[in-house]
Amino acid sequence: MALTIETAKDGEYYRVTAKGDIDLYSSPELRSAILKAIKRKEGVAIDLSGVGYMDSSGVATLVEGLKSCAANHQEFVIERPSDAVVKVLQLARLDTLFKLRREGA
Amino acid sequence: MSQPQVVLRVASDPRVLSTVRGAVRGFADANGIDRDTADRVVLAVDEACANTIRHAYGGRSDRLFTLTLRASDRYLEFDVKDGGKPCPESARRKKRPKAPTSIDDVQVGGLGIPLLYEVFDKVEWIAGASRGNRVVMKLRRAQAKKG
Repeated sequence: MALTIETAKDGEYYRVTAKGDIDLYSSPELRSAILKAIKRKEGVAIDLSGVGYMDSSGVATLVEGLKSCAANHQEFVIERPSDAVVKVLQLARLDTLFKLRREGA
Repeated sequence: MSQPQVVLRVASDPRVLSTVRGAVRGFADANGIDRDTADRVVLAVDEACANTIRHAYGGRSDRLFTLTLRASDRYLEFDVKDGGKPCPESARRKKRPKAPTSIDDVQVGGLGIPLLYEVFDKVEWIAGASRGNRVVMKLRRAQAKKG
């Protein structure tokens, strides 16, 4: 399913909501949205509840976001990760690296 | 000996990866792979194809590579062959890293090839006379059958 991205401010966070498939073709769009969110200097929340597929380019995008936020002392949270997201993070042994919020803020 | 069942000539365009994933999932379902294993196989084959597009062909979308799907009594095989820049030996042997203890231990990227070794029982890099890469990923059928 084609990736769609919505962004919105929500309290202390700026939320990026991705729905669809995150792969080599679509991950640059997610990356761009996350980097723009980080520039706002607020907490960043990535809602991945609607992601049906994510590959390593998606994981790399999340890692980059996490590292950028850490360098800027910003919070980076993955919200409601879908089963597909959890599985690929587990496969990559990165599931404990991220702050995962099972419910939305 | 395995007989080819599906042979796809695939454009090196990231937009077609979703189509490739559909074909791999269909092949997995037709050969009795359970859902969880099929998800992993689809991911790993997608990674191999993405590597071809991004690294072997340097992101060019006007090239072609071949994905061959085979089933034998013992294995399901996923064979990706391209005519692009050879993958360095050091990258081919990159296994999955240990779980990081801190964010400083983690690199951005480089997860594709380790995922192949994580998913498949065998990952064979086939040397050929011509330029390019060929990787054959094998899944043992006994582990893949639906319960």
